Amino acid sequence: MTWKPRLTRRAMIAGTGAGVASPFVWTSAHAQAGNALKIGMPLALTGPLGSVGQQQKRGAEFYAKLQNAKGGILGRKIELLIEDTAGNPATCVRKAQEMVERYDCRLFTGITLSSEALAIVPKLAEWNAIFISSDNGDGRLTAESFVPNFFRANISGPMGARAVSLYISEAKLKSFYALGLDYAWGHNSVEVFENEMKRRNIAFIGKVFAPTGTKDYSTYIAKIRQSGADGVYLVLAGDDNNAFLAQAAQYQLSAKMEMLTEQIELSALRAVGDAAVGLVGSTRYAFTIDTPDNKEFVESWKTEHKILPDTFEGEQWQCMKVFEAGIIKAGGGEADKLRAALEDLTIESIKGKVFLRKCDHQGVQQGFMVRVVKKAGFDYPIPEVISKLPAERTTPPCNKTTYED
Amino acid sequence: MPSRLLGLLVVGLLIAAPFELPAFAMTLLTELVILGLFAMSLDLMVGYTRLVSFGHAAAYGFGAYASGYMLLNSSLPLPFAVLLAAVMTGIVAIGVGWVCTLATGVSFSMLTLAFAQLLYAIGFKWTSVTGGSDGLAGIPRRPGPMGLTVLTTKSGFYYFTLVCLIGSLLLCQKLVASPFGAVLRGIRENEAKTLALGYNTRLYKVAVVAISYALGGLAGALYAPFAGFANTELLFWLLSGQVLIMVIVGGAGTLIGPIIGAAFFLLLAHQLSAYTEAWALFFGLVFIGFILFAPQGIWGLATAWRKHGEGSMAEGRADG
Amino acid sequence: MSSLAFFLNEGVNALSQAALLFFLGVGLTLIFGIMRIVNFAHGALYMLGAFVAYSLAHWTGSFWVALALAPLVVGAIGTAFELVILRRLYARDAHAFLMVTFGLALVVSEAVRLIWGPDALQVLPPRPLAGVVFLLGEPFPVYRLFLVACGVAVALAIWQLLERSRLGLLIRATSQNAEMVHALGIDVNLVRSATFGIGCGLAALGGVLAAPLVTASHGMAGTVIIDAFVIVIIGGMGSFLGSLIGALLVAFVQVFGNYYLPDFALAFMYLVMLLVLVVRPGGLLGKEA
Repeated sequence: MTWKPRLTRRAMIAGTGAGVASPFVWTSAHAQAGNALKIGMPLALTGPLGSVGQQQKRGAEFYAKLQNAKGGILGRKIELLIEDTAGNPATCVRKAQEMVERYDCRLFTGITLSSEALAIVPKLAEWNAIFISSDNGDGRLTAESFVPNFFRANISGPMGARAVSLYISEAKLKSFYALGLDYAWGHNSVEVFENEMKRRNIAFIGKVFAPTGTKDYSTYIAKIRQSGADGVYLVLAGDDNNAFLAQAAQYQLSAKMEMLTEQIELSALRAVGDAAVGLVGSTRYAFTIDTPDNKEFVESWKTEHKILPDTFEGEQWQCMKVFEAGIIKAGGGEADKLRAALEDLTIESIKGKVFLRKCDHQGVQQGFMVRVVKKAGFDYPIPEVISKLPAERTTPPCNKTTYED
Repeated sequence: MPSRLLGLLVVGLLIAAPFELPAFAMTLLTELVILGLFAMSLDLMVGYTRLVSFGHAAAYGFGAYASGYMLLNSSLPLPFAVLLAAVMTGIVAIGVGWVCTLATGVSFSMLTLAFAQLLYAIGFKWTSVTGGSDGLAGIPRRPGPMGLTVLTTKSGFYYFTLVCLIGSLLLCQKLVASPFGAVLRGIRENEAKTLALGYNTRLYKVAVVAISYALGGLAGALYAPFAGFANTELLFWLLSGQVLIMVIVGGAGTLIGPIIGAAFFLLLAHQLSAYTEAWALFFGLVFIGFILFAPQGIWGLATAWRKHGEGSMAEGRADG
Repeated sequence: MSSLAFFLNEGVNALSQAALLFFLGVGLTLIFGIMRIVNFAHGALYMLGAFVAYSLAHWTGSFWVALALAPLVVGAIGTAFELVILRRLYARDAHAFLMVTFGLALVVSEAVRLIWGPDALQVLPPRPLAGVVFLLGEPFPVYRLFLVACGVAVALAIWQLLERSRLGLLIRATSQNAEMVHALGIDVNLVRSATFGIGCGLAALGGVLAAPLVTASHGMAGTVIIDAFVIVIIGGMGSFLGSLIGALLVAFVQVFGNYYLPDFALAFMYLVMLLVLVVRPGGLLGKEA
C-alpha cells in the first residue's frame, strides 16, 4: 500500500485544528431555541457504573417523552441535556459547568456517583441551579454536606440500612457480621446498621471492608463464616456485588446464614441469577411494588421498552415527577421560586407518598424490604416485596444520618 | 513567520481571551492551561530524559490535595497556597525519584506507578486529612496577599494560571538549553556514555524528576481551587496514562507539543462525548491514527507544515 | 473452623487466584519479552474473552465450547491487529507502542459495551464444576480447584511450547537476539505475530475462566490491567517462570494479607512490587529492561 504522506498530514492538521477549535465553532445538539425547560444530566453512561447511568437516562427520557406528548410542563417542552462523564468527577463538573454557562441550564438531576455529586453540590449556589438527586445515597448530602439548592427524591443509604434493621427486629436473628465496600457509602451504611443493632441489643460481631475492584472475595467469605453470626449485612454494589454474590453462592454461604443487603436491583439479579435467590434486602424501587401508579408505570414501561423497569429507572421517574410538581407550583424553573415550591411539597408517586421536608430536603418515603425469589414466567429471579416500612420510621431525623428511636 | 513572533501572537491571543470568549469557553480554556502545564511537566522526564513515568498523576493529585487542604484549613492566600503546594510536591518527589531511579526502563516506569498507587491508597484511607473516597470539596479561592481579590475572579484566576504556565514553560526552555539540559539529552541518547563521561546521571535523573513533579504539582495545585475539589481520581493510574498520551500525541521532547497535546486531548474528548456515547471508540481510533500517520505528534506536524510552507520538504524533527 | 482447615482452604484459594493472575501475566510477559511492547490493551482483551465466552456459551449451551473457542477468537483478533498495525511500528521507539495499545484498549472496551450492552452478564460454570468439596470440614468450590488444575495445565503447556517446540525455540531466540534469528533466514515477523496472538489468547483465557467468579463485566479491563503489569514486573519482564512466581507471590500476599490486615488491601500488591524492585530492579528473574 502506498501512502500519500502530504495528503494525510494535511488531513491530520485539519483534524487537529478542528478538534482544538471545536467548542467555539460547532453548534451542539443542545442548541435548541425557544423556552424549553432544560434539565441537565451529566451521567456516567460508560464505564463500570454505565448501567446505572443508562437506567437514569432511560427513566428521564421516558418521562420527557410522555410529558412532552401532553404539552410539557406549563406548556414548555422538557429538554434533557444528557452527556457522558464516564464516572469521573472532573468530567462531571466540566460538563455541568458548560451546561450552566453555555446553555443556561439551571436544573440538574441524574448525577450517578456520590463522588460526582459531592463535587457538584458546592457549586450549586454559584450557578444558581437546583439539583434533585435520583440516586445519590450518601447520607451526608442531607447532613454535613447539605446545601439549600440540593434535594433528594430517592431513598438514601441510611434509610436502606434502617429498613434492614427494622426488618431484623421482626425476624429472629441474634447476631450479625457486616461486609461493606471500602469507601464512604459502605462505611456510612455499616455504621448506621451497627448503631441500630446496638440499640436493639442484637450482637454485632464485627465488620470488614473490601476495596472496590476486589475480584476474589474468598477471604471475606471466610471471615464471614468464621464469625459464626446468624446473618451478614452486605453493603455492596455493581461489579463487586455481583462478584460477591456469585462467589458466596459457590461457597454455599446462604446455607449457613441469612444474607441481608442494603440494595437490591434487577441488573444484579440478571447478572448472578440463581446465586441471588434467598437474598433479602432493602430496595429503592422494584417493579413489584404495588401502588396503582406503579402498576400503570410498569405497564407503559413494558410496552415501550419490552422489559421490566429496574431500580434507577423507577427512582429517576419519581424524581422527574418531583420536578414536575415543583415547577408547576413555582410557575417555572427559576431557582429561588423552585426551592420554595419544593420545600414541604408532597406528591403521590409510584412508590407511594413522597414528602420533601423543608429542614434537609430529603424525600420522606416508605421503605421496602424484598426477598429474591424464582418465579415462573421470568428468566431471572425477581424481588418480591415482603415488608413495607413506614416513612416516619425509616427516614432519619433532620440533617442526621443516625436514628434516635 | 519566525517562531518568536508566533509565540508572542499566541500569548497575545491568550491574554485577550477573557474579553472575547464567552464564559463557558473561558472555563474550558482555564482548564486547558492547567492540563497543558501538567503535560508539559511530564515532557521534561519523558521527552528529554527518556524517563517514562506511569505515575505522574501522583504529582497532580498531591499538588491538588496540598493546595486544597491549605485553602480549606488555613487563611493562606491563593497564590501562596498554590506555590507552596508545588514546592512540597517537588520535595516529596526527591524521595520518589531517588527510589525509582534505582531501576531503569520499564521497571522505572512501574516504580513510578507503584508510588502513585500507594499515594492513591493513602488518599483513599486517610480520611481525616484527605476526606477519603469523597475527597476535599468546596475548596475556596482565598483572597490574595494584602486583600487583593483579583485572583479570586474568573478572569483573574485565569491570568494566574496563564502566568504559571508561561513562567514554567520559559523556565523549562531555559533548563533544556542549559548544560543541565545537555546532560539530560545525553542520558536520553546514551546513559552509559554519559556516565562514562563522568556525570552522576542518577543525580541528574533525580533532579529532573523533582522539577517535573514540582511543576506537575503546580498544575494540580491550580486545579483544586479551579474545580473546587480534590479527590482520589486525581491520583489514579488512568490519569497518569492519559497525560502520557497527551505528551506523545503532542510531540515528546518539544515542551510546547505536550501543551497542545493536552488541549487536543481534552477538547476532542469533550466534543466527541457531546455527540456520541461511543466517543471512546473514536478517541482510541484517533490515537491509533496518529501513531500511524503522524508519528512526530501534533507539534511535529505543525513544524513540518511550516517548513513545507517555507519551501522545504524536510520532515519536522521533534528536537529539544 | 480450625486453624488447619482455615490455612488449607485459604491456601487453595490463593492457588486458584494465582492461576487467574498467571494467565494474565504470562501472556503479557511473552509479548514484552519478544516484542518489547508494553501491551496496555491486555486488560481489554481479557474482558473481551469473558464476553465472547458469554455469547458462545449462550449459543451452544456449553461452557467447554466457550472455553475452547473464546481464546482462539481473541487470539485471532490480536494477531490481526499485529499484522495490520503493530507490524509497521517495530522500527519506532517505545512511545509508539504505548499509544497504539492505549488506543486499542479504548476501542476494544467501547466495542464490548456497544456489542453486549452496559450490563454485567452471567457466565455459569458447567454442572459438574458447580458444587463443593469439603476440605477438613469446610465447603470449598469445585470450580476453584478446576482453576488450579487449569493453571497447572497451562503452565505445563507453555513450558512445553517454549522448551520443546520449534516455535518455542524461535520465540526464545527472538527475545534474545532478533537480528540473529533474522540472519538465519527465519521470518521474525511470523514469530512476532504468533507470539502476540498467543499472548492475547492467554489473556482471553484468563477472562473466560474468571467470568463464573466475577461475571462478564465492564469494570474488568480496568481492574486487571494493573495486576498483570505488577505480576510481570515482579517476576521479571519476559520471564515465563517469573510470571508464575509473581502470580503466586501476589496471590498469597493478597489472600492472607486481606485476611489479617484488610485496611492495607489496596496497597499490598504495590508494596510487594516496591520491595522486589528495590532489591532486584529487573524483577526476581528478569534482566534489566
